[in-house]
Amino acid sequence: MSNALGQTIHAPGGALRRSAAERAANWLGDRGTLVTGVALAAIVVLFSLIGPYLYTASPYAIHGHHALEAPSAAFPLGTDQIGRDELARLIAGGYATLIVSIPAAVLTFLLGITYGLAAALSPSWFDKVLMRVLDAILALPGLVVLIFFSALFTPGTFELILLLGLTSWPGLARIVRNEAIAQRNRDFILATRQFGGGTWYIARAHILRVMAPILVVNATFLVGDSVLALSGLSFLGLGLQPPYTSWGGLLQTGLNLIALDPWWMILPAGLMIFLSIMAANLIGQGLLARFGAAR
Amino acid sequence: MSAALTLDQLSVALKRGRGKPIAVLDDINLTVNAGEMTALVGESGSGKTIASLGVIRLLPRSAEVSGRVMLAGTDLTALTESEMRRVRGRDIGMVFQNPLSALNPTTRVGNQIAEVYRLHTGETDRAARARALDLLGEVGIPDPSDRLDDYPHQFSGGMRQRVMIAMALACSPKLLIADEPTTGLDLLVARQILALLSRLRREHRMGVLFITHDLSIVEEHADQVHVLYAGKSVEWGTARSFFAQPRHPYSQALLGAVPRLGQTRLASIPGNLPDPETRPPGCRFAPRCAFREPACETAYPAPETTGGTMFACRRGREINPAAMLDAVLDDPAPIAAPSRGTALEVTKLGVDYERTATSFFQGMIGRKDKMRALSDISFSLRQGECLGIVGQSGSGKSTLGRAVLQMISYQGHVILNGEAFDTMPRQQRKLARRRIQVVFQDPKESMNPRMRIGDIVAEPLKLAGMRGQRARMAQAAALLDRVGLSERMLNLFPGSVSGGQAQRIAIARALATNPGIIVLDEPTSSLDVSTQALLLNLLKDLARQDGLSYMLISHDIAAVSYMADRIAVLNGGAMVEFGTAQDVLTRPTNAYTRELIAASPHFRTNQPGGPTETMEFNPSTVQPSAV
Repeated sequence: MSNALGQTIHAPGGALRRSAAERAANWLGDRGTLVTGVALAAIVVLFSLIGPYLYTASPYAIHGHHALEAPSAAFPLGTDQIGRDELARLIAGGYATLIVSIPAAVLTFLLGITYGLAAALSPSWFDKVLMRVLDAILALPGLVVLIFFSALFTPGTFELILLLGLTSWPGLARIVRNEAIAQRNRDFILATRQFGGGTWYIARAHILRVMAPILVVNATFLVGDSVLALSGLSFLGLGLQPPYTSWGGLLQTGLNLIALDPWWMILPAGLMIFLSIMAANLIGQGLLARFGAAR
Repeated sequence: MSAALTLDQLSVALKRGRGKPIAVLDDINLTVNAGEMTALVGESGSGKTIASLGVIRLLPRSAEVSGRVMLAGTDLTALTESEMRRVRGRDIGMVFQNPLSALNPTTRVGNQIAEVYRLHTGETDRAARARALDLLGEVGIPDPSDRLDDYPHQFSGGMRQRVMIAMALACSPKLLIADEPTTGLDLLVARQILALLSRLRREHRMGVLFITHDLSIVEEHADQVHVLYAGKSVEWGTARSFFAQPRHPYSQALLGAVPRLGQTRLASIPGNLPDPETRPPGCRFAPRCAFREPACETAYPAPETTGGTMFACRRGREINPAAMLDAVLDDPAPIAAPSRGTALEVTKLGVDYERTATSFFQGMIGRKDKMRALSDISFSLRQGECLGIVGQSGSGKSTLGRAVLQMISYQGHVILNGEAFDTMPRQQRKLARRRIQVVFQDPKESMNPRMRIGDIVAEPLKLAGMRGQRARMAQAAALLDRVGLSERMLNLFPGSVSGGQAQRIAIARALATNPGIIVLDEPTSSLDVSTQALLLNLLKDLARQDGLSYMLISHDIAAVSYMADRIAVLNGGAMVEFGTAQDVLTRPTNAYTRELIAASPHFRTNQPGGPTETMEFNPSTVQPSAV
C-alpha cells in the first residue's frame, strides 16, 4: 500500500503476524535501559511511599520476645536486636531516605544550574572568580565536609536536605557552565541579542532549552548520588538519629551484629540502596541514549 | 585512450532503518580516461558522493550495489575486502571536502604521508620520508623540508588540501577521486587547487574523478562532464561540447544559476530535489521542468545526442537555448520609490582582537597580545543600497559585519540614521540594534534546534513587546509568505527543513523587526548552486520592494557583483578598494582585486542569465540607488 507520495504504508494487520515476544523485544529494543530503569524506580518509590499504608506494622514497636528473629510469617523480614519489625523499618527507612534525597537532589539541581549559568553569562572576570570559588569547594572531599557539618548539629530531615543540597552542586555547576559557554556564542544566540534579547531571556529561552537533555539526564543521576550520600552518612551514624532510621542506618545496625550473621538485617537494606541507584542510572543512561544526541 | 575507471550500470540501493532498500543511484555509466579529469556534477542529494563511495566500496554494509566498477581492467566489485583494502590508497587516491577532519591532528604531516607510502610499498622509513618530502614539493608547498614536521593545524585550509593531495598521490594511483575538494575554500585558493590537480593528472597520466556541485569551477579544467540529478545521469559528454551547448534543461538551469560577473538575473529552478523515496516515475526533473509534456511523467527518456553531449531528455533536441533561458529567468520585482538618504555611516572603524596568552606564564602575568583585525574603515550605506564587502577568509570582512551589528567592541563611529551608537544610552542602543539585522552563513546554526519555526520567526516580535501568541503566529505566517514559504512550516522544527528553506526562515526572522539594514554574512555559501540563485533573487526582490539596505559579505565577487551597487574589497583588515560595482569590476586599481576578478567566472554569450542584447560588461543596468 502506498500514499500519494509513493511512500510505503504498512497494512494495519501486518504487525499482528509477528509473535508477541518478538513485538515486545522490538518495542523494548533501544529503550530497554530506560524501561528497566523506570520499572525499578517505580518499585522503589511505591515500596517506600505506598508501603506504609499497605503494611501497617509499626517500625518502632518493640517485641521483646522476638529479638533478632529470622524471617517468619509474623515478621516477613525478621526482627532486629531489640525485636522491631524489619520490614516495617525497611519501609520507614525508605520513606526517610527518599524524603531527604529527592528534595536534596532538586536543591542541588537548582543551585548547580543557577551557579553554572551565572558563571557562563557573566563578564569574564566574574566567571573567573566564581570558578576559582568552585575549585576551592571541589578541592574539599565531599564526605569529610558532610561529616563535619552533621557532627556540628543533630540533623533532622530538613537539615539533611539542606546539608546534602548545599554540598553536592559544584559538579553540576561545572557541567552547566561549560555547556552554556559552548552555546552562548552560537549564531542563534547572537541573532537573539540583535533583536534585543537580554542575558536572562537568552539563558531561559535558549540556553536552558538547548541544554534540556543534559539537564534531565543529570537530574536523574543526582537523585542516585543523593541516595548514596545519605546512605553513607547514615551508615556512619551521622544521618537521621534513632529511633528514626534510613537504609544506611539499617545497614549499619545489621553490620554491627555481623558476628551473629543476621542476613535479613543487611541484605534487604543493601539491595534497596543498590536498586534505587541502579534505577537512577538506568533512567539517566536511557534518556541520554534517546535524547542526548539531538542537540 | 585507455580508461582509468569505467562504471558500468552502477546502481546503489540503501536501507534506512528496517524498511525496504531505496534506490539512490540508477544505472550510472561513466568513464574516466587516464590523464583526464571527469567532473561528476550534481546538487546535494543527487547521489554523487554515493557513486564515489561505490567505487571505493566504502558504502554501508546494508547497501545493495549492482553493476561493475572497472579500474584499469580489474572489476573492483569482484575483489575480496582485503584485496580492496590494498587498492584503496595504492591504486585509488582520495581527497575529501574537509581536510582538517581527514588528517590526524596529532601526527606530523610528513609522517602521515610517509605512512601511506610505507603501508602499500613496504619501503623503509627513510625512503618513505624522502618520498613525503618530494610529494610536498610537488603539490606546491613552499619550503617543504621545513613543513614536513608540522602538524595539520599549522597549515591554512588550502595548504591542508595540498597535503591531502600529496597523501593521495603517495603511491602514484591510477585514479584520484576528489569529492568537493574546493568547497569551503576561497575562490583564489580553489582555483589553485584545481590547477594543481589538472597539472598532476597530466604529469602522472592519472585519471581524476572530480565531484562538485559547482559547474563554474570545473569549466576550465575538466575533459568530461557528467551531470547527475536525483540518482540518474541527465547529461554527459566532453566538457567542450557541454559548456558550448548544454542540452538538458537541468544543465541549462544549473549553468545559469552560477553567479557570474556581469549577470543581471540568475536562473532559478522552482521546487526542490526529490527525496529518494519520492522520486517521480518518469523523468525525475519533470516536476520542476518548464518543458515537460505528459510523456515525460510516465517513462524515463532514453539517451539521445545531436552530436555533442548525450542527454536524457525527450525534448533536448528541439528546445532552443533561448527558450530554456527564458524559462528559468523570472522577472525581477518592480522597484518601489527609491530614496537617497543615508542609512548608515561608518567612520574610521577599527577592531583589535586580544589574542589569548600563548603560554601559561604569559597567562599568569595577564599579558595579552593585541592583533589588529580591522583598521581605518570608512564608508556610508544609502537607503535601498546593497554594499558588497569582498575578501578572503581572514580579511576581516565578518569582523566588520559584527562591529556594525554592535556584537563586538570597536573604535571609531557607526552612525545609524544620524545617531552614533557609541554615544547612545544603553537602553536606546538596545532598541537601535533592532534596526540592523543579520543573516548568517549556516542557517541551521542560526536557529535554536529545539524551537518551532513559528516561535523562531515570532521571537523578535515577542521581544519587541507584541502580545498574544495567536497574533504573533499570524504575523509569522505573513513573514514566511514574504519569503515564499508556506505557513504549514510554523509547527516544524528547523531539523526537518532543507538548507535553502532554513535560510529563507532566517531572512523572514530578520525582516520581523522591520529593519532598515540587513547584514548578510555569506548568506549563500553553504547552499547548492540552484538554491543560492533562488535566494539571491529573493533578496534582490525584497530590497527592491522595501528599500532595504544590505551589507553583503562574501568571498565570491561574482555573487556580490550580482547584488551590489557598490563594492568594498578588504584585504588583511584594510579596505583596499571601494567604489561603484561597475568601477571596481571594470577598472580595479588594486592588484588583489584584479586577481579576484580574474579568478571569478565571467558571463559568456551562450549562457543564460546575462543581458542577451549586450555583450558589453555592464553590471549596473539597474540604477544604483534602487537595489
